[in-house]
Amino acid sequence: MRNFWLMARYEYLKRVRTRSFLLTTLGVPALIVVIGLVGAITALSERNNSPVGYVDHAGFLNEALYADPYLEDMEDRIALIPYAEEEAARAALEAGEIQGYYVLPAGYPQNPQIDSYYMGEAPAGSDFADFVRANLVAQANIAPATQAWLVEGPEVTVRDLNTGRELGRDAFAGVVLPLVGGFFFFFAVMGSSGFLLQIVGDEKENRTMEILITSVNPLQLIGGKALGLIAVALTQITLWALAVAVTVIVASRFVELPGALTMPWSFVAVMVLYFLPSYALIAGMMTVIGSATTELQQGQQIAGILNLLFIAPFFFLVLIFSNPNSPLLVFLTLFPTTSFMTVAMRWGVTGVPTWQLVTSWTLLVATAAATIWLAARVFRLGMLRYGQRVAMREVVAALRGMEA
Amino acid sequence: MAFSSFREDIMALVTVSQVSKRFGRVQAVQDVSFEVFPGEMFGMLGPNGAGKTTTIRMMMDIFEPDSGNIALFGEPFREEHKHRIGYMPEERGLYKDQKLEPTLLFLATLKGLDDKTAHARLEPWLKRLDLWEHRHKQVQELSKGMQQKAQIIATLIHEPDLVVIDEPFTGLDPVNTRLVKEIFEEQRQAGRAIIMSTHQMHQVEALCNRIVLINKGVSVLYGRVAEIKRDFAGNAVALDGEGPFDQLPGVLDVRRENSSWHLSLAAGVSPQEVFRALAALPDVTINRFEVAEPSLEDIFVTVVQEEQPANGDAQEAREVDYA
Repeated sequence: MRNFWLMARYEYLKRVRTRSFLLTTLGVPALIVVIGLVGAITALSERNNSPVGYVDHAGFLNEALYADPYLEDMEDRIALIPYAEEEAARAALEAGEIQGYYVLPAGYPQNPQIDSYYMGEAPAGSDFADFVRANLVAQANIAPATQAWLVEGPEVTVRDLNTGRELGRDAFAGVVLPLVGGFFFFFAVMGSSGFLLQIVGDEKENRTMEILITSVNPLQLIGGKALGLIAVALTQITLWALAVAVTVIVASRFVELPGALTMPWSFVAVMVLYFLPSYALIAGMMTVIGSATTELQQGQQIAGILNLLFIAPFFFLVLIFSNPNSPLLVFLTLFPTTSFMTVAMRWGVTGVPTWQLVTSWTLLVATAAATIWLAARVFRLGMLRYGQRVAMREVVAALRGMEA
Repeated sequence: MAFSSFREDIMALVTVSQVSKRFGRVQAVQDVSFEVFPGEMFGMLGPNGAGKTTTIRMMMDIFEPDSGNIALFGEPFREEHKHRIGYMPEERGLYKDQKLEPTLLFLATLKGLDDKTAHARLEPWLKRLDLWEHRHKQVQELSKGMQQKAQIIATLIHEPDLVVIDEPFTGLDPVNTRLVKEIFEEQRQAGRAIIMSTHQMHQVEALCNRIVLINKGVSVLYGRVAEIKRDFAGNAVALDGEGPFDQLPGVLDVRRENSSWHLSLAAGVSPQEVFRALAALPDVTINRFEVAEPSLEDIFVTVVQEEQPANGDAQEAREVDYA
């Protein structure tokens, strides 16, 4: 067991000290932060914070309601300046004191036509619209709780009776986060498993294998390396997630994000359950390829084709949004190599039935276990075949449990 | 046929008993037996593809024998034995893009040393083998000889009871060859058993007290070097003179040693027969003729050439080399 941890530690430190790791791990968050900052700066520079004027010919608007607690984010709202006459508002507009002004006609709200005047660019209207809505509600002579409901809008929670999951309440957190999180998670894992292929190939090519296997057993060797690489992937994911979180927090100070950000814990739990067997499946496949091929380049070509089996759900992105429960997507959910991505992508847009989750996870675990078993056999068979590939018939013989 | 122990008074560190291994159509090793005892340097000889490396890999539990038994330290192979073995394989390699010192420390810890002990032991080894100044270099920056010495450190740093080294002197200059020989002798005197697989007969002759000669997967000679040489006495002649000595009947190998000629004779061919054949040749001048003590190389050539197959097919099949 000690050698298992030594192997994992060595592989981890070896990888995290490479330039490519530093570039990828620090480069991606730096890119995210830069993009976030550029977005925030652009939003700030484009936003016109000049006050907006209004002329209330109906005497309808109560200025005090602009500080109404129903209207959120007081500090982010632009100032509203009342003018008695349109000429005064126009003069202020021409002097650049305001970005535009609204005119409520006499007889408002029976005469509901509101005019807007501006020079060049239309004034930001959402704050004024909120202000008018708050006045309309306040004068409707209804209970305060109902007033709040009318101002904030209805709160609808959609429940899927099949799964019991709540959907659609928060589109951003529910759909985008699982999608983006799944992609990040998966590509980091694919990257680290690609390292595993490289390692097995490298150990053969640089002739280190024979020294290692007379110090540790194959499980300690491959398992330790795989664990070290998982730790590398998790380090990357953690740093990237931190970068995203910091960017979102910083960006939310400057721009309005669509919907409140809440962590979809059920999604996280499902992904954690799928993570280990998916990783084991990829690692097993890469070990088989690395052991059976003679040159790293040859192995990478085969691995590239196998990767298609894992990223296939990408090609059905449109279908996932239009018909997330189609038979094809159910098949991809159950198929071991595509289950991880398909579940991640369907999660935000539909309730994946429990039977599909249980079946796909069971199939995934069984396939991963079988692949690891085969990998151990092919690894033993091919680890010392310098310059000789392992023939398919030998792999089949290993599959049958015989030594070729 | 049961394999009888070479010595009864002491437990063998390695007992290889009638071990066989086949890869597909190729019989790599067949019924090979030998023992290795503490405090001895044991030579494993044989031509390319003879089955030496396969035998070693079976000892190291890399391959499982098809039949026969292997015991290490008096019992079948166990995972714990790995810490008691120092193995330098024929196909050598270290992580080329890693620095020398951490690489050796890592390999030492895999052999059961804690970090502190590994550090403490590594420094004198690096200094002794002139690698101390190079410890922060990447392995790929080191010369072949330096890498070879680094591997010797990796093989010995955990002070194993059994040392198995395939071609230990490859890539070493004469100065370093002498240094490594000194180190091996120290290890032997410390009670460790050293198994040396090599083609360099003169090194085996100088270092090993016992050998096994494997040819075509079969053990063809096994025993003390002195006894084997005594058994083969008369199988070589040394002479001064000129003439086409390679055409003589019963002569397997002719080589020049300084100003003399050294002839290895086939088994059953006496020096007298060679002398008569020489005398019968018209264009030969002989200034000196004497029966020579056969070197291990003579014995190797004699045994191996006698075992050559009549047709090339079997030899060609053997070149699918798993060994």
